[in-house]
Amino acid sequence: MATGTAIKPDRGPPASPPREWRRFKYPQSLYRWLGLLLALTFLSYSVVYLGIPLDRFINMFGRAGTLITDRYYPPDIEYVMDRDYLASVFDTIQMAYLGALFGILIALPLGWFGSHNMTPSLRFVYPVARFLTMGARAVHETIWAILFVTILGFGMMAGVLALTFFCTGFAGKLFAEEIEAIDVGPVEAIRATGASELSVMIFGVLPQVRVAFTGIAIYTWDVAFRAATVIGFFGAGGMGWYLKRNVLQIETTRVSAILLSIVAIVLVSEAVSAWARARVAKAK
Amino acid sequence: MTSATATADMVERIVAKRSKARITRSLIYFVLLALAAWCIKTTIIDDTDWERIGTLGAVLKSIGRFVDVDWGLAPNLWKPALETVMVATLGTLLGVITCVPAIWFGALNITPYAPVTYPIARLMMTLSRSIHEIVWALFFVAAVGLGALAGVLAIAVRSIGFIAKMSAEAIEDLDPKPVEAIRAVGGSEFQVFLYAIIPQVLPTVVGVIIFEWEINIRRSSVLGLVGAGGLGLVFFRQLNTFNHPGVTTVILAVLLLVLFGEIVSYYVRKAII
Repeated sequence: MATGTAIKPDRGPPASPPREWRRFKYPQSLYRWLGLLLALTFLSYSVVYLGIPLDRFINMFGRAGTLITDRYYPPDIEYVMDRDYLASVFDTIQMAYLGALFGILIALPLGWFGSHNMTPSLRFVYPVARFLTMGARAVHETIWAILFVTILGFGMMAGVLALTFFCTGFAGKLFAEEIEAIDVGPVEAIRATGASELSVMIFGVLPQVRVAFTGIAIYTWDVAFRAATVIGFFGAGGMGWYLKRNVLQIETTRVSAILLSIVAIVLVSEAVSAWARARVAKAK
Repeated sequence: MTSATATADMVERIVAKRSKARITRSLIYFVLLALAAWCIKTTIIDDTDWERIGTLGAVLKSIGRFVDVDWGLAPNLWKPALETVMVATLGTLLGVITCVPAIWFGALNITPYAPVTYPIARLMMTLSRSIHEIVWALFFVAAVGLGALAGVLAIAVRSIGFIAKMSAEAIEDLDPKPVEAIRAVGGSEFQVFLYAIIPQVLPTVVGVIIFEWEINIRRSSVLGLVGAGGLGLVFFRQLNTFNHPGVTTVILAVLLLVLFGEIVSYYVRKAII
């Protein structure tokens, strides 16, 4: 064929043009289009169902812009330099620390029991641990905060407990995933010596995941701090209460100052957490 | 130096290094524990109004009020649950669309002018992630009024940071060889993008988007607390009317919804990747 066309160049173009190359062949491409169509239908239906006013969406940018320039600017920086406010920031940091610490301590056994490969009993312990982790994670931290405030009253204890539940779910899932990804060689070696499940965990699994766990723990604190800035909104202590008060009183310049302070503190906490994680990874 | 002394020397060095690491580690643990004890003292023991809480029995009694399910509420939860999923989906989609510039600016190897555009993208990501969805919702309720639109916008803005950060990192880790290969056979810039870059980052990006969608279901289930509709509004109403079994019902509904999201995300991720 190839030589034939080379000899007779005056034949003109070949009868059928070369087939276009496609990444996806026929049945696969059909499924893709169908999936896309389904997704688009759902999306447009939900815009209609939720009654989203699209004209308002387009006007929004102008309105949000004037909202910021007229009301939220300039931020009332003096307000956030106030002694009481700074004390509440300090409370927030403490709450996040305790919540993360307790949450991690609870998440350690949950992560072990809830990992598919290392759980002591796949039939009984595993589903319970998975359910607890998922339950703690699925319920939003603000809902936990509201529940604990209802039960225990206003104050930081409710906040610490809410953050504990939040961190348990968060860290428990990551811990379990980390344990599921380990190398089974050392585990089998230690099991072959007749060690108990706990010894297998301590000498076979922990050395493999220690660095990753430390990184997860630091990250958990970081996330807990972000959550802690807001749970005070529902009465669980910390700076969130100042936020709520000023939002309700429509003290918008103060609100913007508080928001700026949250961003600043979160930036610092993120930098600290990134530094600590890099240190831990290096110190392996 | 003979090999025996060299080995002994090496062993000694390793042992010394280990004992030093052990001392540092126990010091860190000690500091962490001392800090914890001090925090427990100030936040829990001093700050709590123990009289208000009362005895353990009283606490158990107030917990007991929640241990019941109000089945009569269940049929009324379908609509808000659907709304919650819709808000999460639309919000994720809007977030994906709006985070494209952040990804473009935020990946060091494709950012147009690194000294200016890279910090802008990092700032966008940090702003989006550091402000809580409740606060974003408050802001957007002020800007566009009560309703689902404020929730969609809050979810969208809150999703930008995570999606953009993970996608930008995926683009930074790109393997340059397919790009060169497509270029070598004469592909245009668009074809390079379509056949060399997208196939490499798509599994990561789609995985991240689905993961974010799953989280957004959780988030949109509380946005009703500040006036953005969905299950959060029902929760708020049940709590304010002191219908504690109803509160439990709503929480169970949220649990089921999140479980549904996890199952869907598992299968979609498996189908696409």
